[in-house]
Amino acid sequence: MSTLKRIQRMMVEQFELKAEDLAPDAQLEALGLDSLSVIEFMFKIEDEFHVKLPDERVEIKTIQDITRIVERLVAEQQAAS
Amino acid sequence: MARRVVITGLGIISPVGKNPDEFFSNLMAGNSGICRLQSDFVDKLAIRIGAPVQEYNPADFFSKIKLAGIERFAQFALIAAAQAVKDAQLELAEHERPRAGVYLGTSMGGAGTMEEGYVEIFQRENPRVKPLSVLLAMNNAAASHLSLAYQLQGPNVTYSTACSSSAIAIGEAYRQIKGGYADVMLAGGSEAMLTHGVMKAWEALRTLALEDRQDASASCKPFAQDRSGLVLGEGAALLVLEDAERATQRGAHIYAEIVGYDCSSDACHITKPDFAGQTRAMLNALRDANLSPQDIHYINAHGTATLAGDIEETRAIKQAFGEHAYHVPISSTKSMHGHLMGATGAVEFMAAVLALKHNAVPPTINLHQPDPECDLDYVPNKGRQLPLRAVMSNSFAFGGSNAVLIARRFDT
Repeated sequence: MSTLKRIQRMMVEQFELKAEDLAPDAQLEALGLDSLSVIEFMFKIEDEFHVKLPDERVEIKTIQDITRIVERLVAEQQAAS
Repeated sequence: MARRVVITGLGIISPVGKNPDEFFSNLMAGNSGICRLQSDFVDKLAIRIGAPVQEYNPADFFSKIKLAGIERFAQFALIAAAQAVKDAQLELAEHERPRAGVYLGTSMGGAGTMEEGYVEIFQRENPRVKPLSVLLAMNNAAASHLSLAYQLQGPNVTYSTACSSSAIAIGEAYRQIKGGYADVMLAGGSEAMLTHGVMKAWEALRTLALEDRQDASASCKPFAQDRSGLVLGEGAALLVLEDAERATQRGAHIYAEIVGYDCSSDACHITKPDFAGQTRAMLNALRDANLSPQDIHYINAHGTATLAGDIEETRAIKQAFGEHAYHVPISSTKSMHGHLMGATGAVEFMAAVLALKHNAVPPTINLHQPDPECDLDYVPNKGRQLPLRAVMSNSFAFGGSNAVLIARRFDT
């Protein structure tokens, strides 16, 4: 399953959102996720993808933003190990 | 003339009912909410009884997105407040919001979240805790969620004085309105501390009731010879308090008027109750209400069912009420809903307000053989119908902080 699909599935499970609303460019805020919900979600992302988010702050506004970060981290951390 | 303060809305989620009607009818029927806990850690406890909120499913009240940021004690507060606000048919215009506030009592706030964090760090050696841990656990989380939910822009304060927390929250809210600093206050308490660690801590203090061998639900026995201590409970109770003029003008239903309050300290011992301090609190509240002991028709006692507490409170009532102490019906509803700590003052004050409404006094259950040193009328085992005009609710805390509230039928 693609990274995007996995993230979309997690969002459906955790926030009871409708899959059809979860286009890659959907704004998280418009989906009802405020900054705190996003922090909470990224915590779950770390578990799901076995990655560790970097300490620097990254801007996350859309589902695509999350996908990009996850793909980058997975690639980096695979290369490092 | 001083402003008057009335109660226009009630809401509760408790071990004996999830709305005021259910709560009060269970109290009158003598139904106990105390039981064997079902928690997964129960085998690790020496004392396995408590008074949980039964059949509670957070998803019935909150979306998953919301739940990630709302602790159990804040959930309870929001549920009780929603009932109270609806009951009061409270609507605040934009310009009224800065004069509407929230005062809430809690003893241990987000104890469950703190504990989960410790398990992750110290037991599982997980380097991370839930990212919202601070916002979930902070003691003022529940009051702040209420302020957000109802756009209350006036004072937003959390009181933590153990067993008297929410009685003080209500009393201080009454003073805010009486003193002209606010027109509407949401006031009450919330507690959710039936967690492994908190239960262990109370167990260690040796003040918890032992489980009754025949019937776990009968383990809390205030004023009885065979009492052995308190039973921890959870839940929340919230009241809408309002300036009487505002309430009458909008034609609100008025349950009662708050006429007396005192908050004072034993300054005596960290746990040992002190009848002198308790007497002082009751007399000060009577003075505030401009009532004499004979005017009080029912006392909802603190009545924890600890060995020292019940005797000391009995002595204090005698000292404050004189001869009338023997004629005023007194009950400890803790025998049914347990001790809700930070929420207990609000729960019990609500019981007293509902007693006024229904002209009915709930019983002290499990009182078959009274302690000879507890020789007042504790309404044993069976509630009573009788006309009531004014009622008192006592809350005496660990730490020595005492609070007494008096409500009276509202006359214009």
